[in-house]
Amino acid sequence: MSVLVLVEHTEGIIKKKNFEAVQYASQIAKQSGTTVTAVVLGNASATEMENLGEYGAQKVLHVADPRLDELHARAYAKALITAAEKEGSKVIITLHDINGRAVAPRTAIKLKAGLVAGALSYPDTTKGFVIKKAVFSGKAFAFVNVLSDIKVITLMPNSFQVNKEDGKATVEKLDVNFDEKDFGIKVKQVNKVSGEISLADAELVVSGGRGMKGPENWGLIEDLAKELGAATACSRPVADSHWRPHHEHVGQTGGTIRPNLYIAVGISGAIQHLAGVNGSKTIVVINKDPEAPFFKAANYGVVGDAMEVLPKLTAAVKKYKASHK
Amino acid sequence: MPDTSTKIILKDNNTAISSDGVTYIINPYDEWYALIRALELKETGIASDVHLITVGKADVEPIIRKGLALGGDEAIRIDAAANDPYEIASYIAEYAKTVGYDLILCGKESIDYNNGVTGVMIAELLDADYIGFASSIQIEGNTAIANREIEGGEETDSCSLPVVIACQKGVAEARIPNMRGIMAARTRPLKVVTPTTVAAVAAILSYEMPPAKAGIKLVDPDSMDELVELLHSEAKVI
Amino acid sequence: MIRETAAESIFIPEEWNEEQLMIAETCTNFLAQHITPNLNRIDEQEEGLMAHLMEEAGNLGLLGISVPEEYGGFGKDFKTSMLVTEKLGAGHSFSVAFSAHTGIGTLPILYYGNDEQKQKYIPKLASGEWKGAYCLTEPGAGSDANSGKARARLSEDGKHYLINGQKMWITNAGFADVFTVFAKIDNDDNLSAFIVEKDFEGLSLNTEEHKMGIKGSSTRQVFFNDCKVPVENLLSERQNGFKIAVNILNLGRIKLGGGTVGASKDVISLAIKYANEREQFGRPISKYGAIRYKLAQQAIRTYASEAAIYRASQNMEEATDTLVESGMDEIKAKLKGTEQYAIEAAIIKVHASETLDYVVDEGVQIYGGMGFSAEAPMDRAYRDSRINRIFEGTNEINRMLTVDMMLKRAMKGELDLMGPAQKVAGELMSIPDFGGAEEDGLFTKEKKYIAGFKKAILMVAGAAVQKLMTQLGKEQEVLMNLADMLIELYVSESLQLRVEKLVGIKGEDACKEQLDIMRVYIYEAAERILKSGKEALNSFAEGDELRMMLMGLRRFTKTEDFNTTQARRNIASKLIAENKYCF
Repeated sequence: MSVLVLVEHTEGIIKKKNFEAVQYASQIAKQSGTTVTAVVLGNASATEMENLGEYGAQKVLHVADPRLDELHARAYAKALITAAEKEGSKVIITLHDINGRAVAPRTAIKLKAGLVAGALSYPDTTKGFVIKKAVFSGKAFAFVNVLSDIKVITLMPNSFQVNKEDGKATVEKLDVNFDEKDFGIKVKQVNKVSGEISLADAELVVSGGRGMKGPENWGLIEDLAKELGAATACSRPVADSHWRPHHEHVGQTGGTIRPNLYIAVGISGAIQHLAGVNGSKTIVVINKDPEAPFFKAANYGVVGDAMEVLPKLTAAVKKYKASHK
Repeated sequence: MPDTSTKIILKDNNTAISSDGVTYIINPYDEWYALIRALELKETGIASDVHLITVGKADVEPIIRKGLALGGDEAIRIDAAANDPYEIASYIAEYAKTVGYDLILCGKESIDYNNGVTGVMIAELLDADYIGFASSIQIEGNTAIANREIEGGEETDSCSLPVVIACQKGVAEARIPNMRGIMAARTRPLKVVTPTTVAAVAAILSYEMPPAKAGIKLVDPDSMDELVELLHSEAKVI
Repeated sequence: MIRETAAESIFIPEEWNEEQLMIAETCTNFLAQHITPNLNRIDEQEEGLMAHLMEEAGNLGLLGISVPEEYGGFGKDFKTSMLVTEKLGAGHSFSVAFSAHTGIGTLPILYYGNDEQKQKYIPKLASGEWKGAYCLTEPGAGSDANSGKARARLSEDGKHYLINGQKMWITNAGFADVFTVFAKIDNDDNLSAFIVEKDFEGLSLNTEEHKMGIKGSSTRQVFFNDCKVPVENLLSERQNGFKIAVNILNLGRIKLGGGTVGASKDVISLAIKYANEREQFGRPISKYGAIRYKLAQQAIRTYASEAAIYRASQNMEEATDTLVESGMDEIKAKLKGTEQYAIEAAIIKVHASETLDYVVDEGVQIYGGMGFSAEAPMDRAYRDSRINRIFEGTNEINRMLTVDMMLKRAMKGELDLMGPAQKVAGELMSIPDFGGAEEDGLFTKEKKYIAGFKKAILMVAGAAVQKLMTQLGKEQEVLMNLADMLIELYVSESLQLRVEKLVGIKGEDACKEQLDIMRVYIYEAAERILKSGKEALNSFAEGDELRMMLMGLRRFTKTEDFNTTQARRNIASKLIAENKYCF
């Protein structure tokens, strides 16, 4: 009855957010006196899989089919369900990311399980199986009680601490009977924005708004982002005016992100924008208008002209990095 | 659901959200992107009919009629007060099976519960494929071609109909209902359907407001070194 | 004036049906998407922009709301077109262009055109393909419209009228395709009306006027130099022009009321948001009494104006329907039904435009320094508002018309003023009626006050007519006093009825702030009626008679004191909590 967790890899490498998921699973396993089984699909390296033991996984079920290197949600769900049935799992965990959100609901339907999408807390078993999640685009939280026997959870990335310990997971091969239907989606083309840090995964984000005055000034934002190792984002009017690509738009009708650090430059902070970023751990607001509403939602603020402040901040980061090698 | 600028107020001992003075709207992703794309497909002769399906009680009918005003042919209200995606998806799939839709479009998520899973569940129940976070949709014969967001970029997928596609920005441009449409909305059918009850698999017990933010620390523009130090030692984010 | 009105019979904005609400939402969305982001470009009169925006409005069907379906419109009822006017009222210069096009730009042809004229022009005006304008005013003929010097004479071959003259302050002139032009034929005493197309030979435009406000609205002088107008384009009968103008003005006046209420609500919402965000001395300024007073007053006056507007709109609609049912032709019924409420339309024009001026003035004040900045919205709101007290008949003209129309109706026997006036005069001699056991309903006091206001007006008007007789027309100050009394009465009564009906629908607990609005407004109205009445009486009465009437006036306008400051605080609290105009 081990706790099952879907671990994803990107070209063989397992990213940090998956360790959070394994750790989360491990807590639940400890709570209910069982173990953690990770499910890995496609071509992941053996070392990567074994190292999941450092985050609390005792076993890894590996479905080696190379077709699974790309998302095929029906196949993924089938694999996950096969593993769940094998392990007799009562709790199944995926990440609340693009892939996880395509797989977990199918799993939930097949297993007639309640699903908590975007978990922010460990389950509270005193009142049932209650998990906290954000609602109304982060304006409030809800406590969801899962009533079914099997429980499916998608985990909000960057919400839980990761602690590495010693340990190695044993890797087992898992065979799954796929059929053509499971691979019904054909990938015609992939356009990766190369080299840039994906916004969804980024721990550090530098974002620009209309206060930047025009796309020609974005070099200042990109410089700071590069120095910090951060991804870049923007507010809705900037995306609508085509100053920046639309995948950078964060806000209620754009993307929702929860980085550790969100630096907002020349963004006033309307409710709709805040909805996309209010889960950030730390918010820094740089704006020349001291009355900008964003300051009310920020941890740190700089009242000043973006064109002047940005280069100064970039220089300060550079200096800091040099002295802390 | 409550419109985007609504201030959330809890009531009944934090077990419910107050609806006083709240303006209810169609989920923006559903209205601006999914519905408009469906209407475009009809306007270009690819789709024959556009149906709007919602799960809710009678009070949602005026809100849904906006969809008819925008150009939908028929609206179906599945009479149930359900919040859990499992239930909602089950009801919609039950009805969808009676019609046999070629294409089901929905928003990438709803702005109230932000789950984004109902569309996937419907696809699973209908044994169909699902494409999420789509930013463009084309239909060629019996094939759907969609650009969807992936981590670090975009991917172009194709699959056979029937398919469920969840829409986000880029799929279409929002429209304002015109007078002709508003007057036609009265004459277009709004069916009410009673679903087969599904046992709840999850329920919201209570709500909580986020904690008040501690006061902001202002840093002088000439003291960026100080800010970097604070971010490192105090906030611990770099 | 004479009768009582039942609350159930009036229409209140809280009663819009689903379709009307959808139409209202389309208007609001249209402003948000097309107008608000472009206000600066519009004010700069970017070439082609206003015409394009009118076409966008046309695509949504907004230009054809009241046009009959047979001419490509939607044939909606009057209240619905008022709602559209209100919602688009927050559109600054666009709102003026829209109103000019759909009102004076289209209605003369719609109401007075023959079938050929209507078929030719109305569908294109309703769709927005053609834009409309209206040429009445001249450099030397404003309030005195009939004194215009523009002349028309028949051409030698009898096929054209040749118009000569100069028209001024013509809205939409810069992009209009069709103009309704007023001119006297030969030596006629009265104006005739003509449909003139922009490409007719002899029509030319001056450059745009530089204005204080509504800078985005095209305003030009139009020159007619032997402008050739086909004889088929004479609108209605010769010398009927003035009547056309007056009838269209009745509609224009109440529509102006609707538009200014829409603008008021928008400005108030902006002021509330600003007050909630702007902090001084460690707190948002919305916490301070001086600011709360302003927000409350803005809301009170707007809510009151709105009550009068929708009450009168419904009355006009019902009067029209009744006439149609009795067999009258639809268009004739519409004009007659509207005319029946011409006094109310004039009252509304004055009250609503002065309400907006108050609202924008305090709006600037609430914004403080930013109120004076062109980068913030109050500057434009303030400048754009001012014209409303001037056009569509100045407020002074409208005040005098109010009294004039009322007295004329009294003289024609349509309104029995003298009977009740005498009764009131008689009442003055007797011992005041302290009233028996009064049922203490929620509105008993206010209904009593309003009855008192009516008596006050009857007394002063009756005495004025008696004392001044035919000279009354020359005593403009007295006319203004009487007009102010009438305006306050009509608005007070409309407000009382509105709140009464609302309480009937929603219950007292849900209407606490509206009840406060009603009480504060009526309390202040009583003081204003007293002041105006005193001024009038003091100017034409004397001795014992004067003393007795002043006593009567005080009795008729006496109200119970209560804590108006607290009432305003209650109203302000609700506005502040909702962060927008919410009544």
